[in-house]
Amino acid sequence: MNRKSFVALAAVTALALGTAACGGDDEGGGSGGAGKTLNVLIGANTQYPDEFAAWQKDISTKFKAATGAEVKFETFASANDELTKIQTSVVSGSGPDVYAVGTTFTPTAYSTGAFVKMGDDEWGKIGGKEKFNPATLGISGPDEQNQVGIPWVSRPFVMAYNTDLLKAAGIDKPATTWDELTAQAKQLTKGDQYGLAVAYKDNFDPWKFVWGMSTQAGNPLVDGKTAKLQDPAVQKAYQTYFGWLANDKVVDPAAIGWTNPQALAAFAKGKTGYFLLTTTTASNSLEQGAVKGKWKFALLPTVPPGATSRPANGVEAASILSGDNLLVADYSKNKDLAFEYVKLVTDSDAQLDYYKKFGNLPANAAALQSLASDAQLEPVTEAAKKSVATPFTGAWADIQLALTNVAVQTLPELTKGPLNTAQLDSRIADAQKAAQTSLDRAK
Amino acid sequence: MATLAPPEQKAPPQHVRRKGVTERQRPLWLLTPGGLLMTVVIVLPLILAVWISLIDLDQYTLRRWVEAPFIGLGNYVESFSSGLLNSIWISVSFAVLSTLATVPIGIAAALVTQNKYRGRGLVRAAFLIPYVLPSFVVASVWRTMLQPDGIVNAWLSKVGVDGGLWLSGPRSYWTLILVEIWAAWPFIYLMALAALQSVDHEVHEASAVDGATWWPKLTRVILPYLRGPVLLACLLATLNHINNFTLPFVLFGAPAPDDVNVMPMIVYVTSFQSLRFGLSAAMAVLSLVLIAIPLFVYLRAVRLDVHEEGGRK
Repeated sequence: MNRKSFVALAAVTALALGTAACGGDDEGGGSGGAGKTLNVLIGANTQYPDEFAAWQKDISTKFKAATGAEVKFETFASANDELTKIQTSVVSGSGPDVYAVGTTFTPTAYSTGAFVKMGDDEWGKIGGKEKFNPATLGISGPDEQNQVGIPWVSRPFVMAYNTDLLKAAGIDKPATTWDELTAQAKQLTKGDQYGLAVAYKDNFDPWKFVWGMSTQAGNPLVDGKTAKLQDPAVQKAYQTYFGWLANDKVVDPAAIGWTNPQALAAFAKGKTGYFLLTTTTASNSLEQGAVKGKWKFALLPTVPPGATSRPANGVEAASILSGDNLLVADYSKNKDLAFEYVKLVTDSDAQLDYYKKFGNLPANAAALQSLASDAQLEPVTEAAKKSVATPFTGAWADIQLALTNVAVQTLPELTKGPLNTAQLDSRIADAQKAAQTSLDRAK
Repeated sequence: MATLAPPEQKAPPQHVRRKGVTERQRPLWLLTPGGLLMTVVIVLPLILAVWISLIDLDQYTLRRWVEAPFIGLGNYVESFSSGLLNSIWISVSFAVLSTLATVPIGIAAALVTQNKYRGRGLVRAAFLIPYVLPSFVVASVWRTMLQPDGIVNAWLSKVGVDGGLWLSGPRSYWTLILVEIWAAWPFIYLMALAALQSVDHEVHEASAVDGATWWPKLTRVILPYLRGPVLLACLLATLNHINNFTLPFVLFGAPAPDDVNVMPMIVYVTSFQSLRFGLSAAMAVLSLVLIAIPLFVYLRAVRLDVHEEGGRK
């Protein structure tokens, strides 16, 4: 290379580096108040996009009035987007200051060690731990001393039932045990009418049934570092869940292809007794369907299948602890502002406002209490209080995946009549292996 | 720096040939920006991927990823016990079958639109519709149509056939191939059409003068012209099929039924649901090697070296 070309190369390299450097700094300001920007990562609301934009604007205004700083919202469309964002932020040590993450994702986020552990000081800054519904703190961390998740909103799972169909079948109150539910479903199934709407093809629903029934029977699936999927309680749970379609025939055969919104749409047509596993966010869709004014929420059964009462070690798990937690990034240079933001959105008024706009229940205890008088909501607020956290381990994502995989692989057999329990057991054994491998890696 | 390598490497074996004036004074340094860009966009990420595949990187070690334990080929060994071989088999067979099925369709479509007739432009445009639709849209539409109570089963039941399940179980494999064929045949069609258009007019005239009827003319005169471009199209299409993630992901969701657990799906699930970044990087590197083999064989076979050819002229 002669001198001329060397100079040219150097110039080009410098130019390239300069361009790269320009895109590097995305940090907000320094510390405290005016002129600073707090970055918040939050899930996009595809159901009510306009209202969501208005809510963001409103919060920004309030935050600016209180602290002088700006809030910049960044939205993610899927859990995958969120994970990618967390990964890049964790690796680079820069990114959003506050994250809103799903409850079941909190253990994974915790295992990265990239979020602020909440001590008395931190809780104090956001108005005290006691302002939250105690159940919502169940998935904030592995124990009381190591909590990273600050409860923001709850979306406890309940079931919806068609009041007219139940009345017509002579059923005076919704089932409280799984066996009772199956029996009622049989009563409700006739002609083109089915007892249950179940989203068998959903990638998130099936494991919730299995975990719930099994936990009620006294097996929360994980015991310390041991996976307990290969267990009679789990087998019974899967058999009951698949049995509705394969053996009892109380579900529309098309349900084998349904995701949760499709099952909701089927229930909304008014030809199904129960829609299992839904949340308050479904209310609007139900009010627009043929079931308008003819449906109610009810607590999911809390007595395990095959039993008439819960065993001594069984847990009254009405729902997984579901909703969103807020996490403050450890690398954040605006931690105080971040806690100011968290305080703002977890205060009673803001929580009620958010509920009215989007149907997510408050995690704030006082705000939740103020909704208890609403008869339609009563089962949901009760479910919020009776929600139980899924095991807090970094392996949970894998366990969830293994449980879902059993359902995915079993689907094609459900239409063929009686469930093949031997095959099911071998799939559960595979899931057990995957879950245990993941638990062995957990740190 | 690779781009500044001396031209001797490219020179043909006979070293006696003198380099021409232009070859000696080529301003190779002008390639530097491109070379840098390639380094940043391709080489560095590739090196990083290989490095990640050699360390035990997961959610627990992500934060201090530089300190993640080095485990050598551990991830590669685990790849094979995690069902990668099965996924490779599914991917390759699916890709080859899809390509085989699209070739006759593509060539037939090219022949149909070769000669001028009223409305040919419209037909050509219509043929491109599957190709220009985003994969996500194609998969969503097919998923809706193939629901157990979807439109496909409704039609089938009208003629007395029980459609059954398209999106679960063993049949999902054939569903994937079917949808892939639907979405991918216009690529073969485009390449075949381009080749047909480049056949000299004299060839047509000569065969007409010789009195060749349409079938001998097609098989002995026209199709040999298509061989090169269609082979290239086959290669590219097969690689595209192997790399297609959107279609299986949107059609079947994750986790996918075992019968359609193609390579991109297993890499995705390992990476973004199990959070085993090291393991999934090893799987991705293995897929890259797998894809590189046919590519290498093909490039060796066709020797796409225009300079050498130009030099001989």
